[in-house]
Amino acid sequence: MYSLIIKMAWKNSFLRLPRTLLLITMIAVSMSMMIGLQGLYDGMANNMLDKNKRSASGDVSIFAKDYRVQKDIKYRIKNAHAIREELQNIDGVKAVVLRVQVDGLVATARKSSFATICGIDLKSEDKFGRFSKFLKSGEMKFDKRGAVIGLELAKTLKVKVGSKVIFSAQDISGEINSIALRIRGVVQTTNILLDSNAIFVDISRVHKFLGTSSNDVTQIAIMSDNKNLAELLKLKYSSLDVKNFFELQPMMQMMQEIMFIFNSVTFIIVMGVVFIGILGVMYVSILDRIREFGIVLSIGMHYKYIRLQIFLEALFVSFFGYISGAVLGGILLIYLRDYGLDLSAFSDALEMWGYEAVIYGTIKISYFTSTFIAIISASLLSVLIPLRKIKKLNPIEVIKAEK
Amino acid sequence: MFSLALKNILFYKGRSITTFILTFISTVFLVLYVSMTDGSHDSMLKNSLKIYGGAIEIYHKDYRDIGGNEYLIQDVKSIESKLSKIDGIKLFSSRYETYGLLSFKDNSTASMVVGINPTKEIELSQLKSALQSGEYLKESSQNCIYLGSGVASKLKVKLGDEVSFIGGASDNSFSADIFVACGIFKTGLFEFDSSATFISRVYFDELMLSKNKASYITIKVEDLDEVDEVNNEIIKVLDSENLESLTWKTLMKTMVEAMEVDSIFGYISLSLFLIVIFFVIMIYGFINVSSRIKEFGVLRCIGLSKRAVFSLLLYEIFILSSLAIILATPIAGYICYYYSINPIVIEGIAQMYQDYGLVSDELPFSFDIFTIFWNICLIFILNLLSVVYPFFYINSFKPIEASRHV
Repeated sequence: MYSLIIKMAWKNSFLRLPRTLLLITMIAVSMSMMIGLQGLYDGMANNMLDKNKRSASGDVSIFAKDYRVQKDIKYRIKNAHAIREELQNIDGVKAVVLRVQVDGLVATARKSSFATICGIDLKSEDKFGRFSKFLKSGEMKFDKRGAVIGLELAKTLKVKVGSKVIFSAQDISGEINSIALRIRGVVQTTNILLDSNAIFVDISRVHKFLGTSSNDVTQIAIMSDNKNLAELLKLKYSSLDVKNFFELQPMMQMMQEIMFIFNSVTFIIVMGVVFIGILGVMYVSILDRIREFGIVLSIGMHYKYIRLQIFLEALFVSFFGYISGAVLGGILLIYLRDYGLDLSAFSDALEMWGYEAVIYGTIKISYFTSTFIAIISASLLSVLIPLRKIKKLNPIEVIKAEK
Repeated sequence: MFSLALKNILFYKGRSITTFILTFISTVFLVLYVSMTDGSHDSMLKNSLKIYGGAIEIYHKDYRDIGGNEYLIQDVKSIESKLSKIDGIKLFSSRYETYGLLSFKDNSTASMVVGINPTKEIELSQLKSALQSGEYLKESSQNCIYLGSGVASKLKVKLGDEVSFIGGASDNSFSADIFVACGIFKTGLFEFDSSATFISRVYFDELMLSKNKASYITIKVEDLDEVDEVNNEIIKVLDSENLESLTWKTLMKTMVEAMEVDSIFGYISLSLFLIVIFFVIMIYGFINVSSRIKEFGVLRCIGLSKRAVFSLLLYEIFILSSLAIILATPIAGYICYYYSINPIVIEGIAQMYQDYGLVSDELPFSFDIFTIFWNICLIFILNLLSVVYPFFYINSFKPIEASRHV
């Protein structure tokens, strides 16, 4: 009996082929567009989040108390090496970097701007966040007074690789000190603050410039997969300021939440409209065959078999729609992941906002599973109203009624 | 044909109601979305212009690209006398901008120090209305410095404190002075408040040897919509190869581009909704048509042309779409108008997005008849297009075959 019902459901699903194809097309197009958009927006947010972690804060950062508010070299961590040793022995800690940062004025022969000199160790930064990957032009070298500059700052100062700049700031004794630097490379980290303010210099040179010891740093950044690390370090280093990524970058958390809300609202609206589409087709498909259902009921077929047949019809159509949408959406996502959406025409604006000119998408299995559940649910729900109509059917009246 | 279409609409209620509701929702949604996007973009641009930017700015060529003292405007007075004869210019003023180090006790910070005409700036910018404490500058303010709140906080300066300045004068010589903190301002533009300080030009020109020189001349126009025409007039009278006059569209190119990118993403998202709705309207139209194949067959058999059948379908969708749009437009229009006057306020949004140049918690809508008109047209066209496939489907049947269709 069940095999007969499956066969009937299959044949009836494609009885009105143009109508069924139209419904499958609607599901496929809306689903592929929706998951394409989700992938693109998630890709934008994840890319920004990943690069912010790699270039600046890591998963957890430690500062001296008051440094983040005062931004003054006076508030620095003075036993950095010992802390690094301790951190490296904690489970889940993958990399630790030490940084020294100080705000000042950078000038060329013609232009000046505010800047932050960031003393870093290239080898540690590469291990920490593949820092060299941020290089846009030139080379990642700090030798012979070399420095690497943020893309937006380079634009502001109109400097290129090979240009000379003078950075001036207050040293540890309060004196104004200057250092001449040669630009060796330009980086784009997509972290707005770094791209528009930072000049990266070897940490030992910055120590010499500021008069600090090699044990003094303004930030210790940690990359870790231990989710409780921040809480653990807050207890361990209560005299320091320990912050996790989202505490340091509330914008990122806000952005993720906004993306989640936006994607959820889009999902609900699109699935709602898709539901209306399936409902229309299923309703008419049942009304077309109301006489047929009356006949099978009158010759003794139980209602539960008709219900099963209709559920199966809805499932077959929506499943084909889902498969088509998943294939189309998958192709779209792979394209966005590999080639991205090229918005080079707006590169200045995107860079200003911390985005790259080519925006790459991301692929998550959840796009396909959540859509599968939504489409199957929508198709099953859509037949409830038509089924009610069949249940209330008086078979004799229906058979007698003119088609 | 029109009355037949009307009868069909009343007869096939399910399809009519669905099409009406979906058209209504998509019209309201599109109009409100575009209005909100345009309104918030306009507001961001206007706020930025209002605070310190100029509708038009005149520079020495290469000042913006190369910079440096050799690219300062050298004869400001003669340019100003030419500008005063141009219609459409409301006000103008020259500014002398330089970068230097400011220090107070143990604290130093880099700052953009600008020599301004305090009286003219009251109307040209929001420097005076942004006053947080102390007093705004006067022409005779001497060595008074008007500090951005961020600068004051970095230096830990209070009103009356003496701030030392080191920088380069307009002849490339070394310049240094001691200023007195007279006022602190906060515009809401985070970067601007953290970097800008102002001095009265009368005093600053003496210090920087910049009399009759300027980094640029900023101009306020009477009507922002006529900025291009005014700019063309300026270019004509400047009559100099060494000067360039640029409107805000060029000066704020990055911001304008950023708005365009935001709009592009918005329209991509919106297109998803519109396409899904288009499909559903088409499906309902198709279902309706496929249940009327016999009817169309009979109509064709009694002499109705293919064109007339198409007209019938078109009339049906036209009536349904028009009714939905007629109801949706005033509702959406009123909402746009209301929120253009009483913007939505989201507390804290400016604080959250300060790095992106958002200076206000208000999100005003835009009320523009032309924009609403093209939004409506788009929905209308999509609805009309939705009958194309059903029409071809009907025509795939021969009239006799269709009249016998079960």
